[in-house]
Parts: sequence; structure tokens; C-alpha cells
Amino acid sequence: MRVWRRLLAPGWLRVPWMTALFFGIGAGITVLVRWLEGWHPIWDGSIITTVELTTVPLGFLAGLGGFDYWLRYAAGSPTQPEDHSGHGARSWKDYFRINTDHKVIGIQYLVTTIVFFVIAGLLAMFMRAELARPGMQIVDNQTFNGLFSVHAALMIFLFVIPAFAGIGNYVIPLMIGAPDMAFPRLNALSFWLLPIAGLMMVSSFLAPGGAFAAGWTGYAPLSVHQPLGTVFFNMGVQWAGASSIMTALNFLVTIITMRAPGMTFWRMPLLVWANFTTSLLVVIATPFIAGSQFFVLFDRAMHTHFFDFSGGGYPLGYQHIFWFYSHPAVYIMMLPGFGIASEVISVMARKPIFGYRLMALSLMAILVLGFSVWAHHMFVAGMAPWLRVPMMVTSLVIAVPTGIKVFSWLATLWEGRIHFTTPMLFALGFVSMFVIGGLSGIYLAAVPIDIHTSDTYFVVAHIHYVLFGGSLFTIFAGIYYWFPKMTGRLYDERLGKLHFWLTFIGFNTTFFPMHWLGIHGMPRRVADYAPRFADLNLFISISSFALGASTLVFLYNMIKSWRFGPAAAANPWRSLTLEWQVSSPPPIFNFDEIPQVVGNPYEYGVPGARHAVFNGERVPEEVRVR
Amino acid sequence: MRRGSVVQLVALGAVFGAVAAAVALLITWLPRSASEQADRIDFVFWFVTAICIAIFALVAAVIVYAVFNFRAGPDDDSDGPPVHGHTGLEIVWTAVPAVLVTAISIVSAVVLARNEHIPRAVAGSPNALKPLVVDVTAQQFAWLFKYPGYENATSSTLRLPVDTTVQLRLSALDVLHSFWVPEFGQKQDAVPGLVTKLVITPKRLGTFPVICTELCGLGHAVMRSEAEVMTAAKFEQWATSQKAGGGGGAPSAKTLFVSNGCNGCHTFKPAGANGKVGPDLDKLAEEARQAGKPLEEFIRESIVNPNAYVAPGYPKGLMPGTYAGLPQAQLDALVKFLADGSKQ
Repeated sequence: MRVWRRLLAPGWLRVPWMTALFFGIGAGITVLVRWLEGWHPIWDGSIITTVELTTVPLGFLAGLGGFDYWLRYAAGSPTQPEDHSGHGARSWKDYFRINTDHKVIGIQYLVTTIVFFVIAGLLAMFMRAELARPGMQIVDNQTFNGLFSVHAALMIFLFVIPAFAGIGNYVIPLMIGAPDMAFPRLNALSFWLLPIAGLMMVSSFLAPGGAFAAGWTGYAPLSVHQPLGTVFFNMGVQWAGASSIMTALNFLVTIITMRAPGMTFWRMPLLVWANFTTSLLVVIATPFIAGSQFFVLFDRAMHTHFFDFSGGGYPLGYQHIFWFYSHPAVYIMMLPGFGIASEVISVMARKPIFGYRLMALSLMAILVLGFSVWAHHMFVAGMAPWLRVPMMVTSLVIAVPTGIKVFSWLATLWEGRIHFTTPMLFALGFVSMFVIGGLSGIYLAAVPIDIHTSDTYFVVAHIHYVLFGGSLFTIFAGIYYWFPKMTGRLYDERLGKLHFWLTFIGFNTTFFPMHWLGIHGMPRRVADYAPRFADLNLFISISSFALGASTLVFLYNMIKSWRFGPAAAANPWRSLTLEWQVSSPPPIFNFDEIPQVVGNPYEYGVPGARHAVFNGERVPEEVRVR
Repeated sequence: MRRGSVVQLVALGAVFGAVAAAVALLITWLPRSASEQADRIDFVFWFVTAICIAIFALVAAVIVYAVFNFRAGPDDDSDGPPVHGHTGLEIVWTAVPAVLVTAISIVSAVVLARNEHIPRAVAGSPNALKPLVVDVTAQQFAWLFKYPGYENATSSTLRLPVDTTVQLRLSALDVLHSFWVPEFGQKQDAVPGLVTKLVITPKRLGTFPVICTELCGLGHAVMRSEAEVMTAAKFEQWATSQKAGGGGGAPSAKTLFVSNGCNGCHTFKPAGANGKVGPDLDKLAEEARQAGKPLEEFIRESIVNPNAYVAPGYPKGLMPGTYAGLPQAQLDALVKFLADGSKQ
């Protein structure tokens, strides 16, 4: 009986048979439909695989217990009242369960995303090895196309976007004085969709014909006629996208309804503002990429003609729908970084953030403008010619709110008392590199220059200055900054600085020369190139290996400090925001007393200023803050 | 702000501006222009670069100044002055970038319009060349250029007369491709089902690479051709000879080989082709033996249904399946051409 109960209880014992069961259901339905319709062969491996990419993950999630509460509720069975046993992590095993504690989920997110970051980085190393010399040496064409496609897809969907969600997950409820996220069960589910999406994309290398190889943009009609690996991308994006949307909804509801008493919108830390605007972008835009990938899947599996012109389809339609998500996605990958930079710079410069309200409003401006610029990815695509100039103007106008942010950070530094800790170095590195990425963005927004540089290494250089020098530097800043809070231990400051300088130098020597390559005629996404580009490519490859090696310093520091680092005080940075007013790591329900927010979050240098006070009021067991 | 700090800041800005300007001017950033369009693009490039150098110098100067002057000592627990903002400054750094991007927008829009302008032939003028129209067909993984003004003479390389405005009309047979000649500065995707257009006015004699810049599958990196800019007289002579050779009656099998893009991927001596994406067709007889089929039957099958037998070392699905639709007469001619050529 005990064995039965354990097999039926949510957990890893239930996962194998539930997954097998759902595999059977998927295969059964497919075979049944094909038999009834008289299609041959009845057992078609590629169709079965396509269907299984939906059903197997569902079986896995059901086995792990992702749906138990809602299914009981829907079935009218007595639900298990939340006894908070799912909160907190007592051993490493608790990180491998459905856990409803936002702090556990935040760490689950960050560790998972760093794993995929390392995998995607290794794929880039393979790519640079092939590109070190002209001609083909290490991989064949299809494998190379798979390498850069999976590299980009993992970095975007499994690293940058969810890493910010992970930091937000840990920090946002603490920052607004809430005991948890608004929907803890949804939060747990949204995390567990991530490893599914990531494994799906990585395992596409095992599919017959190799990994998806049409780029992370997966342009139709090429992607429609690619080998089976493409389906792993189509479906992987759905799982990652669903995870994104769930988390964003959770953030929105949490931020709107669960702020501590006195925490008005104009008293929210800028990271909270940034996650608020990012979440709005996610819920509005993500369904578009879901649609675009479903259409490709239907064109392939069901012979529809969304993007097949010979059947009346419209190939450019794919690009319009895709970029209507994927341009806002650029801001999804950047706004939380703006938030992190604002936190770190203000605290480390010991000054209030300069122009707080304009900083918040510029986030909103980017949110709105971000939806009106998608076609600047399509200046040479053959779309309606008149659309180019308006899209250029809106794209350039985004430089205005972005400029406001950069100048405000600089003004915050002015006459501060700057402490050059590792997070501050990464924040300053971010500001300077992001300026370069923003300036090369101006070149790309100007239509005549874009016509020349589009689809070349100039674009590769630009996106890495924005996503590596921008997003990744702020993710590093955030991880170092909140590491004491998350683990209760201090990281090694010397190793942190070493990591920064190796990364900063390796990053510039890797990506800056790519601007030149692109302007002079090296297109992106090629495994082979003209011999005259050989020397520079060799230099870039060597730099990129050094850059890759710098990550080892980071990993070593994180693992060593997490286990053996000295204990961290509650507030090592002398910050005013709420997450630093509780112990490190925080209590299971974050706050033993309800914080009363009485002022702005960045009042450094104002004598006696407080962001929040604790008035001795105990938090009741079932917490309902406001 | 003290006077000394202003002086220091301006000096730092000048230094960074000078460094950035040196990087911009000492490195050859732009390919040597070969078209009037590229000249105008270069102008926009330098216009934007001037603005960017100024912004970069400002930001770099402030960061470096702050790093060296506002560093806190190891035991300094004091805070900076509680400055919350400055309305005047905030208005300035909202308004100035707005003006700058407006200027960039106007310059770009004007250049775009001029770059796509096709001058009308002026009646009576001795130099009244009509825009030369070239139909560009892109397919995996080859370019084909067709000259409708010269009875659809075809060529696998692009030949253009100098100082003549050319309009390219691009189409694609299978997936997206993109036509780019770096020295011309102009680029345009070829889209299945659409005819897209591109204007080029070559101004310099020479041979330049034609590059496909839109990922189009396995052979994307080798989807290359050449653009040769020649004198008007030489072009006229070439085009007229092509017209005589290619016009009237059935096209020769060698022309078919080129016009269907076979030479983009395959090496075949009788056609003067040296593509490297697909198998070497000079070794067709040997391949047929490997596949255990009569030579002609093997060739026909490999064109119509390329996946029936895939040469070792080449992935399945590399060769497009579009050749199943070739007219019977053309298919026969190609099979005969290939069989004869590989028997020698």
C-alpha cells in the first residue's frame, strides 16, 4: 500500500509512469486518427514526435504535481489547504520539487538559466572554432546552422528572459513588502515549463536531420521545409513563451495588489517599475510569436499555406508577426536590466537616483514605442516601401527615453561616493557598453545605412553589444548584488572583479571587430567566408575563447562562495530598499512584521530618511497585505 | 560644479572625442564605393558617426571623470549630496537627443528617396539612357540574371554598364534570399511570390562580389556570384552577343545548365562550372556505378528526385526538389548534356 501511495503522490516516482502514459495517449490519438482517415503509414515517426512534444511535457508536469491542486478543485474534490509545507528549502532536494516559495523558485530559475547559458556559450565556442579559419574544418553546414540557431534560441528564451524573471521572482515580493507572489502555484508551474523548453531545444540535435537550422528567427518558408529539428524549436518556444506569460501575469497582479501599506507607485523601486513594464510587454507581445510558430508548424505538419505563396500564403507575414513579438522582446530583455542598474548605481554611489519620475516614465515610453518599431527588422525584406520611413522615425525616437536613462545614471554618479564593488563594475560596464550598442543601433535605424549593413556581422556586433554588454552585464550585476541576500553568504570580491575585467576585455575584443567585418562584406550566419577576413576572424575566435574561459571564474566564485563563503549581514550594501531590511537569507514568509513604507526608496544622503519602518505589528498566519 | 572640474571634464571629452575620431578616420571603415547610392549611404554614415562621436565622448568623459574623482575611500561610509534631479538638465537631455534624431531621420529619408529615384530619359539628350532592367532570380543556391531589354539574355554573373541607372527586379523560386553587393551599398531580399526592386547606378569599373545575406539553407555561405561593371560600349557588345547566342530556337543545353543554376553548386567541366556545394558532376559515371543504375537513368532520377540516391558525404535534402517541374524537352537536353560530358 505504501508503494502505491508513493507512486500516486506527486513527485519523481510519479513522473516516469505519467510521462509514459501521456506518451501513449499522444501516440494512440495520432495512430487512431491516421487509421480512421486511412493515411499511410499509420505509424509516422515525425508526426508522432510532433504530437509528443505537447503531450510528453504535460505528462511530466502532471507527474511532478504541477496540476494537482487545480484538478482537485475542478473535479470538486476536497483541495489540500495550503499548509505552507511547500515553502522554503531545507535540503537541495527541495529545489527539485514543485515548490511554491518565490525565493526557492527564484533560485531554481537562476540556476537553470545559468546551466543553459553555459550550454549556449559552448555552442558559440564550437561556432568560433569553425570560423577561426575560412573553409570548413570542424562541422558541416547543417550542423553549423544548427549551432548558431540553438545558441541564439537558448540565450534568448532560456537565459536572458528567464534569468531576469528569476531575479525578479526572488526580489520583487521582498522589494514591495509582500510575503510571496500573488499566485504561488502558477509560479511553480511557470518555472517547470522552462527545463522542458530548454531540453527540447537542446535535444533537437538528436533529431534526424539535426537541430533546427533556420536561425532563432526561423524565417518561413525556409523553416517550413527544414528537417524535423525545427518542430523542437516551434514547440520549445511555446513552452518557454507560456512560462513567460504566466510569470508576467503573476508579476503584474503581485505588483498591483500586494504592495505594503504606504508603497505607492511613486515609491516603488525602479526594478519594480521595470518588471511592471516588462510584464506588460510580455503579456501583450508573446502570443504573437506563439502564433507565428504554430503557423509554421501547421504549414509543415498539416499542409496549410500560411507562408507558402504557391498556396496563396504570404511569406512576409511570418516576419511581421514574428517581429511584432521579437522586437518588444528586445525590451523584455533590457528593461529589467535598466531596473537592476538603477538599484546598483544608486546604492553604490550613495546618492538618490537622478530624476526618479522621469526614469519611471521613460520605461513606460519605451513600452509604448516598443510596439511601433517592429518593421525596422524588415527594411530590406520587401515589405511596403512607405512603411520604412515611419518605422525609422519611431525607432530613432526610442533613443530619447533611452538617452534619458543613460544621462540620469551619469548624473547619479556625479559627486557620489562611489564604491567599486563587483555589481557596480558590471553596472558601469553595462552603461558604457550599452551606449556603444545604442549608438550602433542608430546606424541600423537609419534606413540607407541599414540597407547596407542588414544581415551582416554589423548586426551580430550590435545585438551582442546590446544583449551581452547590456542584458548579460546587468544579470551579472544583479546576481552579485543579491547573492548575499539569496544565499546568506558573501561572494569573493577579488574573483568577482577578476571576472568583470576578463569579461569586459574579452567581450570588446570579440565583438568590436565584427562591426568592421559586417560593413566590409561578411554576411551573418555563414560557416565559410572570404579569405581576406581570415586574420580578423582568427583574432575574434581567440578572444571569444578567452571570453568563454572568464565564465569559469564566475562559476567557481558562485559555487565556492555559496558553500564556503563568509556569512552575510542583513544589509551589506547599506541599502534602503525593503529586501535588505530582513535577514539574509530572508525568513520563510519574508517579513515577520508588516513594513510601513514612509518614503522614497533612494533617499541616500537625506539625514534620517527611511524607506520603510516596522511598527511592531505581527504578520498574521494567512497573510493578506492590503 | 567647480570651475576646475568643468575644465577637466571638457579636456576629458576632447580626449575621448579625439580617440573616437581617430578610430573612425584611421581605420578604413567603408568599402570603396562603386555606386552613386553607396556614396550617399557613406554620407549618412559619416553624418551619424559625427553625432555618435560627440555622444560617446560626453558619456565616456563623465564616466571616467566620476570613476577617478568620486571614488569612496575604503572606510568612507558617508553619502553623496541628496540631489533628486534638475528639471532644466532633464529638459535638455530630452530635447537635444530629440533634435538629433530628427536630423538623422530627415537626412536618411532624403537619401533613401534619392537612392531609389530612377531618372527619366530626357528627350533629345545624347545621354538619354533608359534605366536598364535586370530580372534577378534567386534559388538555392544560385543567382540568375536576365536582361529583358536584350531578348531575355541570361547570365550567371551580373554585368552592368557604368554610369547607367539599373533597376533590378528580384524574385525567388524557393525560400528567401537577399542580394547584396557591398561596394554598391544596396541590398534587397528576394521573396517567393513577390517582385522586389532595387536601384543601382554603378560609377566605377571593376568586379565585385554578389553575396546572399538571407539564410537560405545549407549552401547559404557559398551562394555567391559576381557583378562586373564595364564600359557602356563593352556592355552593349556583350549583351548583343548574348542576344544572338541565346535568342531564337531552343536554348543550348549548356545555357540551360547555367540558367537553372546548376553551376552554382556543381563542378562540371563541359559547362565551365566549378561549384562546390554539391557532388562533382565530372564523376557522374562513377556515381552511377555506385548507385547501380544506367548512367542516363541515374542522371534523370537525380534531377527529378534528388533524394533517391545521395552521394556519400552529402546530406539528404541538400538539392532543391524544384527541378521535377522542368519541361520535358529541357530535361532531356540536360540529361544528354550531362551524360555526354561525363563519358569523356
